[in-house]
Amino acid sequence: MAESGHMTNKMKHATVVMGDKSDHNEKQTLLAVLQFLREHNLQETEAILKKEAKLSEEDIQTEKSQPSSVVSHALAAYKSTDDPSIYEDVYTDLKQFIESCLDVHRVELNTILYPVFVHMYLELIYNRHEWHAGQFFEKFYQDHEDYRQADLARLGAVKRREHMENNAMLQEFKTSQFVIHMSRDSYTHLKRHLQGRHLILLTNLIHEHLFIHVFDGIPRTQEQILATSGALQGEAEKEANKAKVYYGLLKEPDLNIPLEEEEEGGEGDGGDPANKSKKRKAKKDALLMKKAKNDPNAPPQTRIPLPELRDQDKIEKINIYREAMKRVKLSADNLPSICLYTLLNSSQGVSGIDFTDDSSMVAAGFEDGNIRVWTLTPNKLRCMKPSSELEYIDKEADDVLERMMDDRTGTDTKMLTGHSGVVFAVSFSPDRTSLLSASEDGTIRLWNLHTWSTIVCYKGHMFPVCDVKFAPCGHYFVSGGKDRTARLWSTDHYQPLRMFVGHLCDVECVLFHPNCNYVATGSSDRTVRLWDVLNGSCVRIMTGHKESVHCLTFSPDGRYLASGGADQTVILWDLSNGTAVAHLRGHTSTVYSLCFSREGSILASGGIDDSVRLWDAAKVLEEQDTDNDTNVPSTLHVNTSPDLLLGTYFTKSTPVLGLHFTRRNLLLVSGPFLPS
Amino acid sequence: MAESKEGKEQKVGSSLTVESVRGIAESVGIGNLSDEAAAFLAEECTYSLKEIVQEAKKFSQRSKRRKVSTTDFDVALRSKNIEPLYGFRAPDFIPFRFASGGGRELFFNEEKELDLQEVINSPMPKVPLESSLKAHWLSIKGVQPSVPENPPPASKELQKKEILDTGIKNKIDKGHRNDKAHKLRHHKADMVRLKDLTTHELSVEQQLYYKEITESCVGPDESRRAEALQSLATDPGLHQMLPRFITFVSEGVKINVVQNNLALLIYLMRMVKSLLDNQTLYLEKYLHELIPAVATCIISRQLCLRPDMDNHWALRDFAARLMATICKNFSTNNNNIQARMTRTFVEALQNDKVSLATQYGALAGLGELGQEVIRTCILPYLSGLGERMRLATEGPIINNVDKIAAENIKKQLSKYLPSALKSSGVPETVEDYTTNYGYLGPLLLSSIQKERQVSVLPSLVPARPTLQIQQAGRTSQQFVIQQQGSASTPVTPSTTSFFSTSAQGQTPRTPSTPGSAGGQQKFVIVTTQPRPTSSATSMLGNSSNGNTSTPTIVKLVTTSQGVVNTAPTVQASGGQKIVVIKQEQGVIQSTLASSVITTPQSLVSAPDLGVKSIFNQGISFSVKAEDKS
Repeated sequence: MAESGHMTNKMKHATVVMGDKSDHNEKQTLLAVLQFLREHNLQETEAILKKEAKLSEEDIQTEKSQPSSVVSHALAAYKSTDDPSIYEDVYTDLKQFIESCLDVHRVELNTILYPVFVHMYLELIYNRHEWHAGQFFEKFYQDHEDYRQADLARLGAVKRREHMENNAMLQEFKTSQFVIHMSRDSYTHLKRHLQGRHLILLTNLIHEHLFIHVFDGIPRTQEQILATSGALQGEAEKEANKAKVYYGLLKEPDLNIPLEEEEEGGEGDGGDPANKSKKRKAKKDALLMKKAKNDPNAPPQTRIPLPELRDQDKIEKINIYREAMKRVKLSADNLPSICLYTLLNSSQGVSGIDFTDDSSMVAAGFEDGNIRVWTLTPNKLRCMKPSSELEYIDKEADDVLERMMDDRTGTDTKMLTGHSGVVFAVSFSPDRTSLLSASEDGTIRLWNLHTWSTIVCYKGHMFPVCDVKFAPCGHYFVSGGKDRTARLWSTDHYQPLRMFVGHLCDVECVLFHPNCNYVATGSSDRTVRLWDVLNGSCVRIMTGHKESVHCLTFSPDGRYLASGGADQTVILWDLSNGTAVAHLRGHTSTVYSLCFSREGSILASGGIDDSVRLWDAAKVLEEQDTDNDTNVPSTLHVNTSPDLLLGTYFTKSTPVLGLHFTRRNLLLVSGPFLPS
Repeated sequence: MAESKEGKEQKVGSSLTVESVRGIAESVGIGNLSDEAAAFLAEECTYSLKEIVQEAKKFSQRSKRRKVSTTDFDVALRSKNIEPLYGFRAPDFIPFRFASGGGRELFFNEEKELDLQEVINSPMPKVPLESSLKAHWLSIKGVQPSVPENPPPASKELQKKEILDTGIKNKIDKGHRNDKAHKLRHHKADMVRLKDLTTHELSVEQQLYYKEITESCVGPDESRRAEALQSLATDPGLHQMLPRFITFVSEGVKINVVQNNLALLIYLMRMVKSLLDNQTLYLEKYLHELIPAVATCIISRQLCLRPDMDNHWALRDFAARLMATICKNFSTNNNNIQARMTRTFVEALQNDKVSLATQYGALAGLGELGQEVIRTCILPYLSGLGERMRLATEGPIINNVDKIAAENIKKQLSKYLPSALKSSGVPETVEDYTTNYGYLGPLLLSSIQKERQVSVLPSLVPARPTLQIQQAGRTSQQFVIQQQGSASTPVTPSTTSFFSTSAQGQTPRTPSTPGSAGGQQKFVIVTTQPRPTSSATSMLGNSSNGNTSTPTIVKLVTTSQGVVNTAPTVQASGGQKIVVIKQEQGVIQSTLASSVITTPQSLVSAPDLGVKSIFNQGISFSVKAEDKS
């Protein structure tokens, strides 16, 4: 049974090697030393060693020339002939050692148990000690934290070496190292223990598969460790979050003149013009001042080529300003009103909802592949006139856009049909003329909202596309999918402009930074990453979620990112250093939607626990400890205060899948009604 | 090796067994699968299945659903480049069936073969409704409006937590009393206590609703009462008014028992029934008020003015059923409600000083608690009871009241006892029964024999649920008839404000039913006065409006209450008493006004006769309600 006939060449090679292992292993070590010497140009020593070890050039050549794929190399790392029964003893010994440590070190050292357990199990499986592996798993799998159990269940399903080869999760375990941060004291403890006991097996394993990042300072507490643990491959490497992120907002284009005009036009309808204009002017000045001064953290204006502003966009921006002036200021004492748009009779299942920025339309993607768009204003949704009629329109007229629409087609809702699989996400373009949809059929469709038809079908992802989002400036959009990549597209290219590769699992959600220079992604490898659009590199890896991440939102000032997911927690991240600022706990099921109020003081979250919750973001930022040293993780403080929850509003059996703050800070919420 | 693995597997997670693989192999025609192959296949299939299920789970998360559906499985298969098996549309519940034979056990899902012709010829299913968008306010400035689209404000669990919280708070308070050094914390504790006392503030709408409901429940209009009771039984979100309703009931019972006002007691018990029926209310908190009230209606010495004529037996039966429901729903090991109630009833049954009516009530109460209770608590006392009944019916001094009571007890016994007696093991002869049960022996025997003859009905008949349902419908009917026959319908419930109006000399309209031709009668009106200083006129307006028109505060009733409108019998004579209780900040003050109406005709001929006129004629005096109870 052990030697079934289905072994690949790789495998054969491995078993052959196992035969004369001791001899071969030593040789390999020597060869490695030789290589090291050669690299450092220590020729004399090299010559002496060669002589002493009686190694021929031939050996060296063969070693070098041996081609090996990454996978086989990684797999070979598990090769060992140790007695399978000692694994249990070694693991128990390690556990006992950790138990006997001082409390301060114990919590830190505890973190190595999980990766050691996983790799020991895989080593046993790889060496075909299936029975021992089973015993080992059975005996120790309950030691680990609850949030690991899902992964452990997947691990436990792997029972044979053949399974290891095409298991996506294990591939990651094999090829990358598990990252752990540890204080120097704890590390010294561990090292001393390993050396003292001559635990070669354990030492090798830790050396091979773990990356222990040692920092100077006091050891971390249980809470601090818990705050960052949970990702598939441990914590983020320290270096990963060192790059500078220009999180500031771009300077707003100069819109002074039209704004004045609008200002005057707006005065006419006011009751007390003198008073109002004064007030408005003061406010407007403040707004303009803010926009006018350069944010030191903002990226250069031309870092990313942005689409030029059209007249239409300028009018839109003016509208935004005007609405912003009428905005209600929200705080813990002044909570927003919430309007719930319930989708009735949606038995086919709703899987994605998006509002337009001006709150005039809402779109929902359904599980049967259809998309519906509703108008939320009295304005009907209209089709463009057929081309034969368009000919007769005066192209020079001011209201040409109005004239080209056919009033006879006005309805409250329109249906878009085209996808052959579940529509996971929809996203309106900022100018409200088009809509993007991501589907399980592996395509992204761009719909025109004048003709209500598909314009482009982007076929780049090889697997289902989980999310798609337009950039705030339009033109660009980003998508993420089951192929573990996020891709940057522009609407005028049918191929992606950038591929953001690095997530170890499916990319569940994507989002553009407000300044269009960065893209955030959340994945089921339980990390949130930030990518630079300019060069496609990963500039932040943020760990702390214990389950897959399903929604993201940036704070209006661009510095903070909120993420929520299946672990029922909303985490607020500071992008300046990639650390968590607050863990917001309260939801009792997966969080699927997040939105900051327009001025950033309130964070709203919604999920399939049929509730909307409001969080005091202003308080989090107020209490944030800014002078901590990111080099020493034990100085970081994560705010988990339950006082941050300002309100919980339950719906009647309607999961909250869409959240949106209007420009005046009214919270719009949407979800399908699911009668029980 | 395979077996040992299997044993271990089950703890970690389910897995396909070798047996299953064999079964599947046989079903596709492979009979001679070797052990090794089966074990290998089982392991491989388990692994693959787990992989796909895990993938499917991800897709269900992506579709923002809680449950994994068959489509998720299809999609997961497709994403692994495997052609999905189309046509599996699983309903929520898959009825697995079990079969065993030849030493093998099988679970299977029975699939019927469909006749295509039938499918084609059957009418098309209805087109599902088009999805649509509906907007409502989930929250206005942080406050959730109580509209039907929003969930009820406080769930049962929340109401439960509330009491637990208070308990904790009290504990804190006690702890701090001993330790006065922590001034700050003590201060905090004080604030907490203050907050405790100021709960249950009612909004204006709630006050109106409360007024409407209580007025309708004890008012003259049977259809409005039905609506009000329906509202109490079904409306969510009544929890804030619950303490008031409970006080209304318990105070009402206290006074009406003293006043022997049968009709009002019945109305109050019907309110209790509605409250018990309401699934959204957490009544545990108020049992200490409810149980005495209900128990009073079961075993009180006198519940009506003329025990020889009025049918107070029905009230006792009804209240006994309520008590049984309370025991069933709320009795726990801690509060021991059933045990305590049983003890109370048994004491009443044992004691030969109490009236026969009380013993009737005790019998009813025990009888409703089930066979076991009947056997252990009624049977031993039968001979004593029999002796009393013999005295009542055949004794030297025959009291009419006692005689009727004895008759009713006999009926009661023949209703509850036969099924318990049948299994008691006493030989069914007259002699044996007489020795065992004394005077009642022959009666019981005959009732057993009668029941045996009519044993077409299965022995399950006395089982609780069915019996209760049948009786509930009938009794409500009985009450109505009885109430109309004996006492007229009460006049108006009104707010305390009518004192001021009567002083001003106004005449508020008071509807009195044409059938209320007097009869000796007492009415109790319990009203809360939330704002003593509020304008009297507005309150008056409400009260008079509320009686003449019917504001649509309560829901429409869908179930028919079985009201029988028999022609009202006109009763002669009519001393009438009206009791008004003003309930103000926890202090209960009651004003008892007794008035004598000169002729019943005056009521019939003048339906507009106001409360004021009653008061003008009557001599009013006031007492404390506490004194009376």
